[in-house]
Amino acid sequence: MTCDEFQRVLPYIMEGGGSDAEQTHVQSCPHCSALVEDLNSIAAQARLMLPLRDPSPAVWSGIRDSLEREGLVRPAGNVVRLRPDGLRPRSWSWAAMSAVAALVLLSFALVRYRNLLGTPPAAVPVTQAQVAPAAPLPADQEVVLAVAERNPDLRATYEAGLRDVNDYINSAQQTVDQNPDDPDAHEQLMQAYQQKAMLYDMALTRATQ
Amino acid sequence: MRPSKGNLSQAKKTQAPERSEAEAIARAKLGDAESFEALYAMHKRRVYSLCLRMTGNTAEAEDLTQEAFLQLFRKIATFRGESAFSTWLHRLAVNVVLMHLRRKGLPLVSLEETLEPQQEDGPRRDIGAPDNVLAGSIDRVNLERAISSLPPGYRVIFLLHDVEGYEHNEIAGMMGCSIGNSKSQLHKARLKLRDLLKLSAGERAARR
Repeated sequence: MTCDEFQRVLPYIMEGGGSDAEQTHVQSCPHCSALVEDLNSIAAQARLMLPLRDPSPAVWSGIRDSLEREGLVRPAGNVVRLRPDGLRPRSWSWAAMSAVAALVLLSFALVRYRNLLGTPPAAVPVTQAQVAPAAPLPADQEVVLAVAERNPDLRATYEAGLRDVNDYINSAQQTVDQNPDDPDAHEQLMQAYQQKAMLYDMALTRATQ
Repeated sequence: MRPSKGNLSQAKKTQAPERSEAEAIARAKLGDAESFEALYAMHKRRVYSLCLRMTGNTAEAEDLTQEAFLQLFRKIATFRGESAFSTWLHRLAVNVVLMHLRRKGLPLVSLEETLEPQQEDGPRRDIGAPDNVLAGSIDRVNLERAISSLPPGYRVIFLLHDVEGYEHNEIAGMMGCSIGNSKSQLHKARLKLRDLLKLSAGERAARR
């Protein structure tokens, strides 16, 4: 095999290794051997290349403005801030959580009451059977109903979200029951309830928009 | 989003980044502005770098980064998690850049003839006396500079395969060419880079 013949097939054998004849050639030809070594080195260095740098802040500003204009995000004032680690502050107490949950539920009751007075029920055909395919908690049903009355398209999303967070709570509760002295288990349970409170909070915003 | 039962401490230590991203995705689907921003912060650098390397132009790269994230956020409700979120986002960003390059009329690889480099522009066949071996002397600054000097068609294929890690069959699907064409163009891109890097090394040696 000549160098010319070898280099004609090289693009197609770089990854696979090639036939015995091709391998024999590259092992015996210093020129083709150096070529293959160089090309492999370039590919190896390329794999190590890191992202360059961040875009300017104007890029995010443009994205945020477009999202707000298109109505894809809730107004900034109604946002529950995510910390970098995805956790809420540790200072939340059970009493505070209970108070928030109670307030949110009270708000939903008021929203529902107002909607029933102000909107003909036939305009948004929501039935109890549709709301509760897997026997969710009564408070969850209320949340889904309130959201669906204003945003029917979001019903499935909130049903799935509540189902997930309830599973999370159940799982964390079981872990606490099995390891009552494990502070991490208690923290996970707290986080699970916090996620549910956040979900309720977002649903409340949706229901009142 | 939720931990497995049992060893929660271990799960928390090893899965925190994934959980954080999953939570942000779930909340972004519900329209939470802060979660959009969190997802942007997690992925902006890699998406922007991809756009910048493929276009070689800062302003275009910023426009394309913005477009890629906007498309992402408009479609985020359809993300079902079959693939990693970053995979989904980067594929979307690549498509945005390729569409942009096509609109600009830059030849990619749909017709192999159009990608054949001009005689003075392309890599030469490497038949002849052995040169100095380049391997081991490639530094990233020079490689980055050499990549930016590649013709657009070569540059795109090289970046997609060797930097971003796409397979030839994926590149062929994205670019509308054959797998063989993708392999051929990648090879030519590497040969051209080798020429450029050798030239650069020679210039550096001459200055010493």
